Amino acid sequence: MRFTIYQESRQGGRANNEDRTSYCYSRDALLMVIADGMGGHHHGEIAAQIAVQTLADSFQREAKPSLADPFRFLQKAMNNAHHAILDYSSRRRMKDSPRTTCVACLVQDNVAYWAHAGDSRLFLMRNGRVVAQTKDHSRVRLLLEEGMITEAQAAVHPDRNKIFSCLGSPTPPEIEFSRKTPLAHGDVVLLCTDGLWGVTSGELMAVSLKGANLLQAIPMLLTQAETKGGPHGDNLSAVAVRWEEAYVDEASSAISTQTMALNEVTTRLEEFGRNPAYKSDLSDDEIERAIEEIRSTIEKYTPNK
Amino acid sequence: MAQQANQALPNGHPLEEYVIDRQLSLGGFSIVYLAKGADGKQVAIKEYLPNSLALRTDGQVMPIISAEHLGAFRYGMKCFFEEGRALARLSHPNVIRVLNFFRANETVYMVMEYEHGRTLQEFIQKHQGHISERFIRGVFTRMLNGLREVHSHKLLHLDLKPSNIYLRADNTPVLIDFGAARQTLSTDQPMLKPMYTPGFASPEHYGSRKDLGPWSDIYSVGASMYACLAGSAPQAADERLKKDSLTPAMIRWDGQFSDRLLEIIDWCLNLNHLYRPQSVFALQKALVETVTPPQSKSSPHWLNRFVDKFKKAEK
Repeated sequence: MRFTIYQESRQGGRANNEDRTSYCYSRDALLMVIADGMGGHHHGEIAAQIAVQTLADSFQREAKPSLADPFRFLQKAMNNAHHAILDYSSRRRMKDSPRTTCVACLVQDNVAYWAHAGDSRLFLMRNGRVVAQTKDHSRVRLLLEEGMITEAQAAVHPDRNKIFSCLGSPTPPEIEFSRKTPLAHGDVVLLCTDGLWGVTSGELMAVSLKGANLLQAIPMLLTQAETKGGPHGDNLSAVAVRWEEAYVDEASSAISTQTMALNEVTTRLEEFGRNPAYKSDLSDDEIERAIEEIRSTIEKYTPNK
Repeated sequence: MAQQANQALPNGHPLEEYVIDRQLSLGGFSIVYLAKGADGKQVAIKEYLPNSLALRTDGQVMPIISAEHLGAFRYGMKCFFEEGRALARLSHPNVIRVLNFFRANETVYMVMEYEHGRTLQEFIQKHQGHISERFIRGVFTRMLNGLREVHSHKLLHLDLKPSNIYLRADNTPVLIDFGAARQTLSTDQPMLKPMYTPGFASPEHYGSRKDLGPWSDIYSVGASMYACLAGSAPQAADERLKKDSLTPAMIRWDGQFSDRLLEIIDWCLNLNHLYRPQSVFALQKALVETVTPPQSKSSPHWLNRFVDKFKKAEK
C-alpha cells in the first residue's frame, strides 16, 4: 500500500476537546476512525476515547495482515465499542451513559469500506470533487431529504446538532455501511467532525485538497474553520488519506500476474478467494442454460423462419 | 505497461458449423472474425476473450485462464450473455442481428449477420470534410430508428461512435458492437475497465456513471455528427469539463450547413445532460423537420454577418 495520511484534532473555542481520532495500518490494511463525544451528555470525551480505542484494538488483533471481511469487522468493532461504553457507565453507576458519534473507514486491496453512526462525516474526493459522502443521522438531514427545509435553513436549524444514532445510548446504534468503493490513484478520503464540515462545505474542501499536500492542507483547513467557528466554536478534527495506488492498476494486468514469482501468485489467489465479488455464481449448467435461452430468443424473434 | 494482445484463431479454423475466414477486429473484450456458415453465407463471429483475464498464445486454441481470474472471467461472460440476450430480442433493420450463440474453447461465441459495407468512420476518413447535410440527416435519422428500438428495450448502447455505425452498401446504417451496453449492469466491477471512447463518450461516462441515460447516447450521436463535419472526433468530454475548447458547430460551420442541423449538434453536445434532447424521439423529430438550405453568404466579413442575421430576424 502507498498513501499519505494526516490527522489532527483541535479544541476550537470549547473548554475541552471531546473529539478523538486515530489511524492504524498493517502491511495490507488501513483503518481510520473519528469520534465526536457528545457535549450534552457527561464525559463525551470518554465515550469517544473508548470508541476509537476499541476499533484500534480490534484492528491490531485482527489485521494480520488483512481482514477477512471488512464490513463484518466494522460492524463487530463498532458494536463492541457501543457495549464497552455501556459497560463503562454501568460499572461507574452513571445515571446517563456518555455518547459519541463514530465514523470508521477501512481500506484494503485498494477498496474502501466505511461505516458510521451519528453526524461525523466521511467524504471521498476525486479530482477536486466530492464523489461520495456519509449521510448524517440527524433530524435536520431527514427534514432536508423530505424537502421540508432548504440547505440554508439546515445550516442554522436549532435542531442541527440532534442525532438519532450514536454509540453509548441505551437504544442500540443504527450503523450505516457504505458500498465497497474501489479507490483511484490520488483519491482523498477525509473523515471529520461537525466542527469542520459545519463551517466548510465538502465541495470547498475537495477543491482545496485537490493535488495538495495533506500535511499542509489539512492544518490550513482546520485553522480556517477554527477562525470561522469563532470564540465559542466547536471542537474540530480530521483524518485524511491520499491514496497513491489504484484498484485497476493492481488488478487487471495479465502480464504482472504472469511475470510474478510463484509464491506471489499464491498470495494473490488467497486475496481474491476471500473477496466475495469474485466468487462467480455462474456454473457450467447456468452457462448452458443462458446459451439455450439466447438461442430460443433468437429463434422466436427471427422473422420468416 | 503494454498488455499482451490475444492471438486470434487462425484463418480456416473450423468453429462449430462455421469456418473462420479472417479476423475483422480485435478489442479489449473480444475478437471479431469473418466466417462462413454451412450454407455458404458470410457471418461475423464475436469471441468473448477479455484481454486482461484470458490469454491465448500463438498456436493455441484454448485460452489460458488462471484460477485467480476465473471468477472475473465468468462474471464478464455473464455480461456477454446480457449483450446476447439484449440483441436477440432486437429485430430491427438498423440494429445488428444475432443469428446464433454457442459455447466452445472454454469461452462463448456470438454469431451475427454480416453484410458488405463500411463503417461510418471509414466513410468519414474517405470523405474528409466533404459529407453533405443530406447524407448526415439521412444516415442519422435511420440510425436513430435503431437506437430508439435499443432504448425501448431498456438498454443503452454507451459506445456509440462512427466506427460502431456500419453502413451497408446502400448506405443504410446498422448499429454494431453492443459490448459496452453491459456497463449499465455492472458499474462496480473494477476488474472490467469501463469502456468508452474519448471524444464520443458523454461526461456521464466518466466518474460515478450514475447519471447515464438515453441522453448519454445522444451526446455520442452529437459527437458523431460533429465528427462527420470535422473529419475527426471532438474534444473529449472529460477535457471539456476542465477547459472547454470545443468550437460550437454553430460557429465553426456557420453558413456551410443549415442553422438547424448545427443547432441540433450543439444541443446534443451540451455538457449538462439535462440540456440535451432527453429522448431519441425528440432528437429525431428535430432532425426530420423541414430542411432550410443554407443561404450563401456573399460577404464573409464578420460585421456583415451580423447585419445579415439582423436582416433575417426582421423578415
